[in-house]
Amino acid sequence: MITITINGKEIKLEKPVTVLEAARANGIKIPALCAHEQLEKYGGCRLCLVEVEKMPRLQTSCTLTVADGMVIKTESENITKARRGVLEFLLINHPLDCPVCDKAGECELQDLVSKYGASAGRFKEEKRKTPESHEDRILARNMERCILCTRCVRMCKDVQGASALTIVERGGKSRMEPFSRESFNCEYCGNCHTVCPVGAILARPNIHNYRPWQIDREVETVCPYCGVGCSFILQVRDESIKRTIPKLGLGLNNGLLCSRGRWGYDFANNPERLKYPLIRKNGKLEQSSWDEALGLIVNKLQTIKNTQGGKAIAGIASPRCTNEDNYVFQKFLRTACQTNNIDSVSRLGFASAQRYFEDILGQGITANMIAGLKNSDVIIVLGGDPTAVNPILGLSVRAAARNGAKIVVIGNAKGLERFKTLKVTPPVFKEADVLEAVLSEIAKVKGPRGEKPAIDKRINELAGKYRTPEISGFNELKELLLSGKSVSIVLGTDIVQRTNGHKALFAVAGITYLLEARLYLLSERANEQGLIDMGCLPDALPGGRPLNINDFRKRFETSWGSSIPSDNGLTLMEIVDASRDKKIKALYVMGENPAFNIPNNPYVKEALSALEFLVVQDIFLTETAEIAHVVLPALSWSEKDGTYTNLERRIQRLRKAVNAPSGMEDWKIISEVSNRMGCKMQYRGTEEIIDEIADISPLYKGLTYDEITKGNCLWPYKGEPLRGVISEIPAAPEKSDDYKGDFYLVPEKLLFHSGTLSRRSSSLNRICPEPSLKIGEGHAQRLGLKDGDNVKIHASDGNLSIKISTDRYIKDNLVFISNNFEGRGVFSLLRYSLDPVTKAPGLEGCEIKIEKA
Amino acid sequence: MLSETVLKEIEEIKAKYPSARSALLPALYVAQREFGWQSEKAMQAVAQALNLPEAEVRGTATFYSMYKHKPMGRHLIQLCTNVSCMILGAERLVDFLKNRYGLTQNGTTADGRFSLVIMECIGGCDMAPAMLLNTDFYGDLTEEKIGEILGGYK
Ligand code: SF4
Ligand code: SF4
Ligand code: SF4
Ligand code: FES
Repeated sequence: MITITINGKEIKLEKPVTVLEAARANGIKIPALCAHEQLEKYGGCRLCLVEVEKMPRLQTSCTLTVADGMVIKTESENITKARRGVLEFLLINHPLDCPVCDKAGECELQDLVSKYGASAGRFKEEKRKTPESHEDRILARNMERCILCTRCVRMCKDVQGASALTIVERGGKSRMEPFSRESFNCEYCGNCHTVCPVGAILARPNIHNYRPWQIDREVETVCPYCGVGCSFILQVRDESIKRTIPKLGLGLNNGLLCSRGRWGYDFANNPERLKYPLIRKNGKLEQSSWDEALGLIVNKLQTIKNTQGGKAIAGIASPRCTNEDNYVFQKFLRTACQTNNIDSVSRLGFASAQRYFEDILGQGITANMIAGLKNSDVIIVLGGDPTAVNPILGLSVRAAARNGAKIVVIGNAKGLERFKTLKVTPPVFKEADVLEAVLSEIAKVKGPRGEKPAIDKRINELAGKYRTPEISGFNELKELLLSGKSVSIVLGTDIVQRTNGHKALFAVAGITYLLEARLYLLSERANEQGLIDMGCLPDALPGGRPLNINDFRKRFETSWGSSIPSDNGLTLMEIVDASRDKKIKALYVMGENPAFNIPNNPYVKEALSALEFLVVQDIFLTETAEIAHVVLPALSWSEKDGTYTNLERRIQRLRKAVNAPSGMEDWKIISEVSNRMGCKMQYRGTEEIIDEIADISPLYKGLTYDEITKGNCLWPYKGEPLRGVISEIPAAPEKSDDYKGDFYLVPEKLLFHSGTLSRRSSSLNRICPEPSLKIGEGHAQRLGLKDGDNVKIHASDGNLSIKISTDRYIKDNLVFISNNFEGRGVFSLLRYSLDPVTKAPGLEGCEIKIEKA
Repeated sequence: MLSETVLKEIEEIKAKYPSARSALLPALYVAQREFGWQSEKAMQAVAQALNLPEAEVRGTATFYSMYKHKPMGRHLIQLCTNVSCMILGAERLVDFLKNRYGLTQNGTTADGRFSLVIMECIGGCDMAPAMLLNTDFYGDLTEEKIGEILGGYK
């Protein structure tokens, strides 16, 4: 125990922290311009000077570690004089242009100068002149205001890991600079902007458009983009979102955001938002009243249900809608429509993998805290780049690397290139073979574990037939995995999207099992886990309870006061097929854009066009809404209350921040339809829905908003996870194709976009305005192409004109296009065949030719 | 881009240190030799060869004044005019270089043979006035002597 005295107050400390930290923890304020809670010590600004008894000079409290018996004073005449002097130095080059600076009102320098004085300087020479730069896509830089505290540089290098900033030159000439425009590898997280104490790094979307004191309200909520579920404050003025502000100590992101969370909010302010219901009349969508639209929906659904049965109806739920929306949606389909044909685009990856793992390893296997990644000593990353798909989780992987963890990348993950220990490149689409070999090698040392006989049995079968792949790094890979004491596996969905995806999934499950590893499943959309837990699946009720077990179903039937069909429904791709085959007549789509977001767009569009009745609830007129019979305007995430469940299965509160001018909550629209169909749903608010969920779902037992607000709604809550696991590992006939083509097209997950939502964000479009074909630099050179060239690509049926962006880290002959941009998504070219086990679409084998345009 | 041989040279430097970052300063010298100065391309090439962030390479390269920060002549004269050298006549040498070769501070001769950088102390006070010519040290300079020495660098 260390005892110190600050300003006469005795303070006891467990650990030797800095004087600044000790003071802050005890509510004593010391000014500090370069020190920051998230950053390494620097000791550069000299404002945190304090008096320490028996020490001759003033000391910088941010670098001084406490020692037993220290007596410290944080304010005195001497200190004030010193601070005033330091501030005078800082102002030598500062333009003092507070009246036109956007930081004014929340500027740390301004506050300090007004407290300690030094309003006029004695320095006679000219101030440094550098015009404010607006060359960057999203950040403005004003180097006249910069006080060279290096917070931004340390943030970008040590926390964000992008290392896009540096201080160039030295002495009086030093300044903060991005490397250069072309090679600037900024990730646009804006975290440098958060920590800059002055108005030197500004957000271009906010330049001169409001003042901090003009904000009407601040509402704490969760990011709408990915499954990490970062928390931030929405600042609202005139019913429009002005900024998203992360806060130290708030949520799992603790003061950090990624580009999407930081800038992507403005889709909600987009003027193209749907404002009123639309009904197709004479082939055209025309404005209608809510009453007419709802009446038509009820009429159509009733008729189809009565004449063809509930099996002719299907619903697509949304990983962007809240738990409450999704719960009400599946209840509506199961009761009012009498169908279990419920699925979502999460089937493309997350849901397929998540269900597979829970089936064989038990419920909750993917519920691991992101913070735990930092404590791993070996992290395997495969199937995607966490720094793009789930950026804030990606930062934990980078942080682990800095703490000495070994990062093993299988496949491509550009954001980890400077952090990895080993990268292994499997032959294209043969990840499963490599993983099975790794598993078998591990089993030689660690197997069988004896806890789950079905898994041990399958591992044993594999051991007999695997072949050691001829790829470099295989032995190192095996050794590294075996050396780990605390292993984490970060799995992206790319390897799920294979016709034999289940084989790779089993291998990952087996490795997880043998190494007792923590498994993290990357999740592209905010509420993928929630949607699963709410029962938006063709074979499971809320809480993951299997539908075809009578006891489970009965409980729900009693509580809902309605029968539920007992057969499993169709999965997403099966719904598409059945629509084309006219077995499904009516499809209800809530907050999703299947015509664009499901591979093989032309086929999906054809199938959806064959429907007798298509209803879409959305906030924009999407590709799917364009072909719908009825379109209903819903609300954006910032306009509603509810909860999301993130990929670590943390339930978090979404709060309404903005009053929407039009539109209705998804759950409200659904309950209205349900009521009119004779299945009563009388919720007065989302709180009543969560009460019902807490009452009926064994998983979310006893859950309340109060508890969620406290932030401790972590797996397994107070619920009852399903314990049983299956006794037989599902298998399918082996298929082996050879991939000898020049190039194979696969989807890319961009850091700057997400689904079709981000297309409506002008900031994200500013950062990344158009799609590109990503290709290995070596391949491009061989084709005589350079970065930025326009090419035409030819797939089996379809082609696309696009520019290329070269990537020197891609060594295999995969080429990548994202699925975000209108008319130019990769899903327009990719065809699929189903993985018979997971029912996810296998996207492998799309051979393309590339031609210079 | 750097040639295979040069990349190998950098690899060899890298092997001497526990981390790639430590090899940055010597690698920058190699790139400077190849590109003539610390151009954007040179810094980029070093960043790629060492797999370091380009920003970090640039920050380091621009911090040290002994690298060439712009295109320079074949031979670099670094002449000290700090106290000891000044007292012993370095200013005269500056004039001499200007009159005889047209060289001024940070300038390069028209034929691209020499560049001049005026230094603050190169640690040769005992032999002041002193200079570095590329990496060779010369002390006790006079106008005559400096002329002779320069004659040896073509
Ligand atoms: S936005 Fe992020 S990546 Fe870009 S310079 Fe700032 S901290 Fe670095
Ligand atoms: S830009 Fe801001 S954070 Fe960066 S060094 Fe300057 S004052 Fe500090
Ligand atoms: S990591 Fe995900 S949740 Fe966090 S800010 Fe980015 S997109 Fe939003
Ligand atoms: S905060 Fe201590 S020196 Fe800047």
